[in-house]
Amino acid sequence: MNILICIKQVPDMESKFKINGEGTWYDRADLAWRMNEYDEYAVEQAVRLKEQVKDADLTVLCIGPDQVTESIKKALAMGCDRGVHITDPDSSQREPITIATMIAGFAKDKNFDIIFTGMQSQDRGSAQVGVMVAELLGIPAVTTIVDFAYDNGSIQVKRELEGGSKALVTATAPVVLTCQLGLNTPRYPTLPNIMKAKKKELLALSPDTGGIDARQETTACYFPEKKGGGLVLEGEIPELADKLIQLLKEKTSVLA
Amino acid sequence: MEFTREIYWNVGHGFATLAPMYGLLLLAVAIFVLGLVKRLKVYRLGQPLDRTDQRRERIKHMLETVLLQTKVFRVPGAGTAHAFFFWSFFVLFIGTTLIVLQADFSDLLFGIKFLKGTFYKLFSLTLDLAGLTAILMLAGLLVRRYLVRPQGLVTKGDDALMHGLLLAILITGFLIEGARMAVTELYVPQLAAWSPVGWGVATLLAGVGEPGLRTLHIGLWWFHLLLALAFIAVLPYSKFRHILTTSANAFFADRGPIGKLGTVNLEDENTEKFGANELADLRWKDIFDADACTLCKRCQDRCPAYATGKPLSPMQVVNQIGEIAFTKPDANLIETIGREAIWACTTCRACQDICPASIEHVGKIVEMRRNLVLMEGEFPGEEVMAAMEQTEVNGNPLGMGYASRGDWAEPLGVKPLSEDPEVDVLYFVGCYASFDKRNIAVATSFIKLCQAAGIKVGILGKEEKCCGEPMRKMGNEYLYQTLAMETVEIIKGYGVKKIVTTCPHCFNTLTKDYRDFDFDIEVVPHALFLEELVAGGKLPVKAEDFACTYHDSCYLGRHNGLYDAPRKLIRSMGGRIAEMAKNRDQAFCCSAGGGRILAEEKLGERINVKRVQMAVETGAGQLLANCPFCLTMFEDGVKGANVEEQLRPRDIAEVLAERITSENA
Repeated sequence: MNILICIKQVPDMESKFKINGEGTWYDRADLAWRMNEYDEYAVEQAVRLKEQVKDADLTVLCIGPDQVTESIKKALAMGCDRGVHITDPDSSQREPITIATMIAGFAKDKNFDIIFTGMQSQDRGSAQVGVMVAELLGIPAVTTIVDFAYDNGSIQVKRELEGGSKALVTATAPVVLTCQLGLNTPRYPTLPNIMKAKKKELLALSPDTGGIDARQETTACYFPEKKGGGLVLEGEIPELADKLIQLLKEKTSVLA
Repeated sequence: MEFTREIYWNVGHGFATLAPMYGLLLLAVAIFVLGLVKRLKVYRLGQPLDRTDQRRERIKHMLETVLLQTKVFRVPGAGTAHAFFFWSFFVLFIGTTLIVLQADFSDLLFGIKFLKGTFYKLFSLTLDLAGLTAILMLAGLLVRRYLVRPQGLVTKGDDALMHGLLLAILITGFLIEGARMAVTELYVPQLAAWSPVGWGVATLLAGVGEPGLRTLHIGLWWFHLLLALAFIAVLPYSKFRHILTTSANAFFADRGPIGKLGTVNLEDENTEKFGANELADLRWKDIFDADACTLCKRCQDRCPAYATGKPLSPMQVVNQIGEIAFTKPDANLIETIGREAIWACTTCRACQDICPASIEHVGKIVEMRRNLVLMEGEFPGEEVMAAMEQTEVNGNPLGMGYASRGDWAEPLGVKPLSEDPEVDVLYFVGCYASFDKRNIAVATSFIKLCQAAGIKVGILGKEEKCCGEPMRKMGNEYLYQTLAMETVEIIKGYGVKKIVTTCPHCFNTLTKDYRDFDFDIEVVPHALFLEELVAGGKLPVKAEDFACTYHDSCYLGRHNGLYDAPRKLIRSMGGRIAEMAKNRDQAFCCSAGGGRILAEEKLGERINVKRVQMAVETGAGQLLANCPFCLTMFEDGVKGANVEEQLRPRDIAEVLAERITSENA
């Protein structure tokens, strides 16, 4: 079984974000970086699948500047077999179709049975890349999966729908699956696996954007204006409850 | 008249006595050696560890611990009884040796007798009193074990054997003496007076008549001999072995630095296994420790996890390792001891500190944690794993953005060394004082105090990362070493001469654990640093009377023996300390050590609530602490115990900062 996991490196959301000079994206200074949370679920699910079927080869792919190899190494330490780094310092400015084209360009002749990726990135959050990769490869995509089962070639996933309802979807390989919170708890890499990861193959490729011209542009990026302050209620609990109910009645429609 | 007695009286000193006696002795010694060799083989199942360096100090420590019973004596009651029993038994042993020396060597070969005259009088009196003391102490211990039955005391067949055999040896000894004296000394009071107990027994036996006494004497003599030889023979096979193993363990004891863990070689690519989940992963000392344990339960009595109903008893852990070693060496350590027990330890060191047998409990637990973390990626809970990941990403377990680490210091005019490296001291702030609002208040007070004393302080700011202590104690040696190496490199890069900490965990780690990374810069904990400033007149304090109690953090107290300096500092600011029931080296942990600060306390009662209640019982309204982990736990504990109105937890620095005379502040 041949599996591809597409991951992205994103800033830690607790970082001190600043808007860059052009005002179009965040400044890279003072940020701590990590693997996109949803992609961690993707890596974990792929590793679990390999543990189940034994005979599987896991390729993890990441696009970005050199520092993203740290995230690739983490995925390798979690259990992926080989890493692919599409070296692209400008990846953060690329629109989803360009990223998807790069991935599809790499994947098209590799016969991947399943492509796991996060349902979206924590920073840009377009939630398009996985789906576009599927489209470019001409294979189905199932998004926001929260449960995954594989049995003898048939794939059954649970999708999270609005309002808490779930949908069961069956599919057969090849397929793209985008992973949502709740799918699994990613493992903490063991030390022997961290050591082994250092010796695993890590292929560096140059970006091939497939000649797509820019079709969209982020023209501005900014923090929301501060609207009013928070309100701290003080006093005895019964009193507090009354105040809160009154506020909810006056200022909101939740009790209407 | 001649003050002496005939040795081998009534028994005879010929071949018929000596041959069976020494024959039996040889047999007893052979059984003894066989037992010892068997156990030695088991100790060797463990990994090598050199505990024979610093021999002079080791021998000195062993002699002190054994002969003076220094550690045993620390716990009154049973400890006192054991010490006196030991001393009496030791005296009896020397007495018996002297008799053997005279009767079977010096007199037999050279006709030299030294057990006579004044020396004999003293010899006889001393031995009589020693025998009496030994019987009384043993009787006391017997009553304690079998009638009083203290909670948690494990009593096995071994204990019955020990009490029975020792009592029988001592009592038959006096009966033999009494029978002999009834015949030979009863009417020579000036001689009998030097054997008062024997004299008493002789008086009781006087009515038996000489033939009967002689039969009784010789019968009891051989019985007494057999008992004594049995004692030698069963020694390695019973808890009697502690006479040898516990003494030897004092020689093999960890020579410190106290609480420094062994650094795992992570560079060696041939290592495929880390930590311990099998007996063979432990060191020989870990197995030997089990044999040195006497089940005195002092560790268990002081364990904060045990005291709050968690499934950890340090005594049990040590003995489970022993049981595996001697009965099922292939068993899985972690499954046998149990994950919940392994994770419950706060590394407070109360067990190790009180142990009279030099057993190292904490290292074993950390070895098993290392196995769980490094080999299985397992933690006590998801929150701990998250904290580890946060530390990897942001250098702190709280998950705060690393770049804001130094933000708290900006309004105080304190700069990071990257901006101004010319400072008197580097303040290694630590994660909690950098990010946690409650502890930022402590850091702020500390800076104000330094400023009042005219000391220029720098911080590392966003270059500072967690020292790695909680991760290391949780078993994450890899993350610890990563953090340690980075921190060492950064601090060394600035040519820092002196570091001050407000966190005893940082202090202990920087000053001890970092030695393995070639780090030898002076580190001073703030309690000591401030005390020295006040004592040196550099920090003028306006003493104001106040009542408080003081909590010895495990890492300043038991790990570093700093009990007096903080108390002196508190008194110098006018504090009247009402001590808690458990204080100084017996202080009760706050629950946050051993990386437990990162974990939820899901089992049993809450340790911090229990400690806060002890503080409330003193009646003092303030609980002074010296550690951000303790402070965090106490702030939480006063809420948990619902005593927010009665007890206010504060750091020493906060109280001191309020008492600096205005012209300097």
